[in-house]
Amino acid sequence: MDSIAITRIIAIVGLALCLLGILLRLKTIMNRPFKKDLSRERGLTGRGLLFAFTLGMAPWEKESTRIHWISYMRGIFFHVGIFTAFGVLLVSPWLEILPNWLIWLGVVITGFGALFGFAGIFMRLSGPNERVLSVPDDYVSVFLSSFFIALGFATLLWPSALPVFYVVTGIVGVYIPLGKIRHCVYFFFSKFFFGKGFGHRGVIGQSKGKYAE
Amino acid sequence: MTNEKFTDKRFNLTDEKKSLAIDVLRQRLNRQLEASLEVCVRCGVCADSCHYYVSNPKPEHVPAYRAEQLRKVYRKLFDPVGKAAPGWVGAAELDQEMVDELIMTAFGSCTMCGRCVINCPMGVDTRHIVRTARAMLTAIDMTPGGLKATVNVHLEKGNNMGVNEEDYVETVEWMLEELQAELGDPSITIPFNKKNARVVYTFNPREIKYFPYLIQAAAKIFNAAGEDWTLSTESWDATNYGLFSGDDAAAAQMASNLEGAVNHLGAETLVMAECGHGYRSQRWEAENWIGHSYPFEVISFVELQAQYIKEGRLKLDPTRNQKRVTFHDPCNQARNGGIVDEPRYILRNVVTDFVEMTPHGVENYCCGGGGGMLSMTEFSNARKEAGKAKADQISATGAEIVATSCHNCLDQLDEIKRHYKLKVKIQNLSELVANAIVWPTPPEAEEEKTEEKE
Repeated sequence: MDSIAITRIIAIVGLALCLLGILLRLKTIMNRPFKKDLSRERGLTGRGLLFAFTLGMAPWEKESTRIHWISYMRGIFFHVGIFTAFGVLLVSPWLEILPNWLIWLGVVITGFGALFGFAGIFMRLSGPNERVLSVPDDYVSVFLSSFFIALGFATLLWPSALPVFYVVTGIVGVYIPLGKIRHCVYFFFSKFFFGKGFGHRGVIGQSKGKYAE
Repeated sequence: MTNEKFTDKRFNLTDEKKSLAIDVLRQRLNRQLEASLEVCVRCGVCADSCHYYVSNPKPEHVPAYRAEQLRKVYRKLFDPVGKAAPGWVGAAELDQEMVDELIMTAFGSCTMCGRCVINCPMGVDTRHIVRTARAMLTAIDMTPGGLKATVNVHLEKGNNMGVNEEDYVETVEWMLEELQAELGDPSITIPFNKKNARVVYTFNPREIKYFPYLIQAAAKIFNAAGEDWTLSTESWDATNYGLFSGDDAAAAQMASNLEGAVNHLGAETLVMAECGHGYRSQRWEAENWIGHSYPFEVISFVELQAQYIKEGRLKLDPTRNQKRVTFHDPCNQARNGGIVDEPRYILRNVVTDFVEMTPHGVENYCCGGGGGMLSMTEFSNARKEAGKAKADQISATGAEIVATSCHNCLDQLDEIKRHYKLKVKIQNLSELVANAIVWPTPPEAEEEKTEEKE
């Protein structure tokens, strides 16, 4: 077996463990009680949910993201970089037949993604609040994710980096359900409850009421 | 101990207390709580959404820091990595040091106003986490003294200030007599225990004890609107400090008392006095505490006043309130209940110069009086300090009157006014409405006037 085949197995095993870990996490949270809200609806819950998963995530919608727009946009680029790196991973066996423009688009996105990812470590170290809040898992999670994006970037430019990309993928895969990166699983739950709760009460995502000016 | 005020023996963590607190966490760990405990990425952008942080920017005032204290305990108990390598993920035992920290963060520096919830990019419900921490502490008798006493008095006496029925009825009747005399209209009524009245109205006991003129304001509004309303002597306290102590059983008991009173009177609607947390408790939380839906509707007095104005049931003259007015949105009505347009609609109809604070509505800053803070004297300095954000907001409006629709807000705003030397008057919304009402001259008085002229 060549190095590509061996490292590909490492990546697949890592991702399989990741999937297993995520499924266990999902099983745990789905086994927790879920109580129906017995109070009468004031707003439309559906509109609250729609808002939570769409416009509610726009950088101008929340005061926090308006104030910390650099931090928020860094996070957006970082996450777009992560998803793109996963795309690179998926198409990695066929990199040679990809059109040039797609390769370069991937290079730009993963390049910025990795840059903004590593910048996150710097911001975490330099911000007094973030420093107090952070634990080793925070630094390792951001580093691993950024490194994963950086290797996606490198693979697009230099296909010889592919075996390293596969190994790092395996490591990241194992770490996802164990460390902070697992927030990707819970994000959908917390956004659901946010939209449901505040939508039900008519606080977010509603059309103008009869007393509005 | 982190605070000398908590040196009492009951604040010592025993093994028995520790396991009881952990049981409470285990029982309350539902999908929503787990999602909030797991999803935080500790980005810290919630910092500026908290009035404690805005008034005194230090890491301990970041909402994520507060929630992190309970998360540490959660990880140690429920996360495999937290059990194996606690230092790696920030997991910690529930020990004396942690309990002290939880008291200071959950009770001492959070009003559960929900501003950080609205502002969290991940949707973390820090209110929920903090209330869970409070519930754990309350279960092991570590609730700060004032809050504990408020809940106990309510459970024992039926209202949180221990007002007896005789005093309650006498105060209301006294206010009725004064209102009749003031308006020269003996037809004004304040009915007690009227069967099948459409509306049952509640009071915050502070109105009976310290602000009886608010009884007059409410009575004037109901009578002017021609409402079919009543008060109950069975249960009338709009407050529910179980919301703040985290004690769902106590909260359910208090809510059930009101439910029973409304059911016995056969009313269609329970109207909550201008009391933010009372509204939130009875409107949004109570049915979930009790475990069934009410057969009647629960609304805030603010909503009802807006409705009366919209329906043209109140004749109003806004020139009677000519001073510049700003409005403080109670967190439990606006952010936690969606009542944002109604008070503004009311004010546009009852005052001539209304000016908004920045920010306002759902994003309004908490005044610092929520979360049961006014009952916890141990934290009064921190509470006043946290009011600086609100004081700055008020000053910037140039208003002479700050209107609000919550008693805890009213008291805290009054303290802020004195502490920060603001030249403003703090008033309830209903006072401004009542003042703007043009009272129809009663037929007898009209006749008398005509006779005098002749």
